[in-house]
Amino acid sequence: MADPGGALAGIAILDLTQGIAGPYCTKLFSDYGADVLKVERPGSGDPSRRAGPFPDDVPHPERSGLFLDLNTGKRSLTLNLKAETGQRILRHLAREADLVVESFRPGTLARLGLDSAALDDANPAATLVSISNFGQSGPYRDLEADDMLVYALSGGQAVTGVPGREPNKLGLYAPLFYAGATAATIAFGAFMAARRSGAGERVDLSIHEVLATSMDRAAQNLMSLEYSGAAHRTIEAHHRASAFPGGVYGGQLPCKDGYITIMCYPHWWDRFCRMIGRPDLIDDASYVERLQDPEFGPEIDALFLPWVLERTKAEVMQQAQSHGVPVAALHTMADIFDDPQLRERAYFTPLDHPEAGRLEYPGPPFKLSETPASIRRAPLLGEHTSEVLTGRLGYSPQEAVVLRQRGVV
Amino acid sequence: MTDPTPAAGLPLEGVRVLSNATVWAGPSATLHLADLGADVIEIESIQHMNRTRMPARHIAPELMEGPTGALFVDRDASEGFWNRNANFNYGKRGHRSVTLNLTDPEGLELFHDLVRISDVFLENNAADVVERLGIGFETLSELNPRLVMGRFPGFGISGPYRNFKGYAPTMEAAAGHTYLRGYRDSDPSWTPGSGHGDPNAGVHLAFAIQAALFARERTGRGQLIDLSHVEAVLHHLAYAFMDYSMNRRVQGTWGNRHPSNAPNGFFPCAGDDEWIGIAVPSDEAFAALAEAMGQPELAADPRFGEAVLRHRHQDDLEPLVAEWTRRHPARGLREQLQAAGIPAAEVLPPEALRDDPQLLARGFWVEVEHPAAGRHHYPAPVGRLERHPLRIRGPAPLLGQHNEAVLKGLLGVSDARYEGLRERQVIGDAYLESAT
Repeated sequence: MADPGGALAGIAILDLTQGIAGPYCTKLFSDYGADVLKVERPGSGDPSRRAGPFPDDVPHPERSGLFLDLNTGKRSLTLNLKAETGQRILRHLAREADLVVESFRPGTLARLGLDSAALDDANPAATLVSISNFGQSGPYRDLEADDMLVYALSGGQAVTGVPGREPNKLGLYAPLFYAGATAATIAFGAFMAARRSGAGERVDLSIHEVLATSMDRAAQNLMSLEYSGAAHRTIEAHHRASAFPGGVYGGQLPCKDGYITIMCYPHWWDRFCRMIGRPDLIDDASYVERLQDPEFGPEIDALFLPWVLERTKAEVMQQAQSHGVPVAALHTMADIFDDPQLRERAYFTPLDHPEAGRLEYPGPPFKLSETPASIRRAPLLGEHTSEVLTGRLGYSPQEAVVLRQRGVV
Repeated sequence: MTDPTPAAGLPLEGVRVLSNATVWAGPSATLHLADLGADVIEIESIQHMNRTRMPARHIAPELMEGPTGALFVDRDASEGFWNRNANFNYGKRGHRSVTLNLTDPEGLELFHDLVRISDVFLENNAADVVERLGIGFETLSELNPRLVMGRFPGFGISGPYRNFKGYAPTMEAAAGHTYLRGYRDSDPSWTPGSGHGDPNAGVHLAFAIQAALFARERTGRGQLIDLSHVEAVLHHLAYAFMDYSMNRRVQGTWGNRHPSNAPNGFFPCAGDDEWIGIAVPSDEAFAALAEAMGQPELAADPRFGEAVLRHRHQDDLEPLVAEWTRRHPARGLREQLQAAGIPAAEVLPPEALRDDPQLLARGFWVEVEHPAAGRHHYPAPVGRLERHPLRIRGPAPLLGQHNEAVLKGLLGVSDARYEGLRERQVIGDAYLESAT
């Protein structure tokens, strides 16, 4: 059950999502106190139960790292939505939901007996949020795509890479998580509007549009095209002193035990010089006059690289930051788990799970001072089926057994 | 001049937000709040140039020929540039702008007065700035216990890194994302940049604000939101995070590959810098790909017949796919592969989006007239709400455009006092020559 003290206590969500974007959207609600009931396919459940990673690389539907993180605090009910009884139970469940969130292919939910009109019949105050790759309309609607391919069509991918090479995708499934967070933001707004007007909202959220308008350069490139006709492509990752907006000295460099990245504006030349122990260069005209010179990058490297190579990534970050220069280590996951900042802020959340055991999970993405997040373990497949059938839906234990025998749940 | 249109019926109608949220992350939060109907008042000053408007005076002229300059209308960064910047005019649309010098006692007092009648204040300055200015949560919360304050400097407001400086690329590195991206055949110094963490922080903050407003209905009190860009991004790396948590294994870059599917990546097409992404999720899809390539025998090849084998022999497989794709135009390949049920899409450059049939069909582009920038197309709010449709509520504000409406209209500042504020440059509508 939801933590009664959570910020979102009192919000009930019927969660029909699977994969990443939808479950991340409902996870945000769940971790901050909403009651999220996840409907899964009997037998196999959410496909992310098969995605891994798994402890010791042994696949098991209750031990998939992605699933365990994406579904914290939710309850799980299995329901065969292809069976008529399953569809009836679904509509019944919708009666008690403030938000119904789904990420089926467009048109699927209607075939499962819960289109907009059916939801209005069941619960006129409920808001339906549909998350899909390209939205519920338009010529791309039914394209087969994953995160990489939607990002490819969004304009962001074309500017992510090294000139002359193939584009380089974002890490892991990052675009889908971002889309999920955006979906949660819009869903929240829709819920607030519906609550005030009494009329449940219908939200059509296109991941494609989320990515095309992201200020991860995509929107910026669209807008500079509008404002000045400039067409952007990939820019050099390294030695981009002349290429990055603002004439920044930036990029990744090797150090003693890994890599660091720096982003230093020309007006911080004095900080830079102090950082590398060369205050004598602060007023040296042969440098100062060339700070915004496109060809100057390699000369800064010649000053910076020897300094960096003598230090560990943690030392470089610490010493640079003490001089006010934005430098960060390229943290690996091992670094992340040892990071003093994250440890002091108590970011890591240890959770016990009956199948996966005790593990540290990512903590809440933001801290609320009065109504903090409460991250609770993910459910076993169908763990709450009986409880929901006999409790919320009023079936007798006998009837629940029959539903199970008939494969409805 | 145009004010934001009324928010009647919109989700955040009646919510007043004070924003000192800049660069990219800031507008990524307030853009959503304004689109959702909040009255967002951007608190700026004529003493300090708003980083979202870009301090063009400090940027060398030769750089204005590159991407930096392209953000200004017709690359014109002469005086008044602050009203003609694309990032600001996109991210701060439908906002109002008030300039207040917070280092002046009267400016601070007026800000405090605004706090008394507002619901939210959000800011992403360096962590020590608000206390120094006298606008920390404790102070503001005493003035208005119902205030929700959102703070999102790079690393959050506590801990040993709280005063560390960060920008999108450095934050991404600190969060572990950079190390997980990049090409498989080159070291991380060649990993191209992304700004993923900025919009991510912003959108999480927009969610957090609504959560705190919702909780306030029950508790009667506002609260402090503390968001670290690193903590908000780590979820996106859940696969690598959980692998380390479970197995103490440090994941490196996947390049463009997938942990189990193959082939998966970008392949060259006919033409210059043209690419098609192909993501084969199953043996059936691979058989269809082999058929499309005119080499159906590949599906029976002992190296490629099953997913596990294909994954193991990707180095052999990818050149075969590339050899085929490079003979065909990208869009045609997408159409052919999609018709065969294979997930594929061409890499569209930003300029292709202007005429993209999907975006056009969904009314993505909206023309907006801006008093200084002119008439341009802007992306519509994300999320189509059928019953309370979101809309662009107006252009971005000129610097200080709403000083009079807000100070006189909302705070009841007299004409005489207003003139005094102008004369003493507590308020204004152009950056001072000395502005930093």
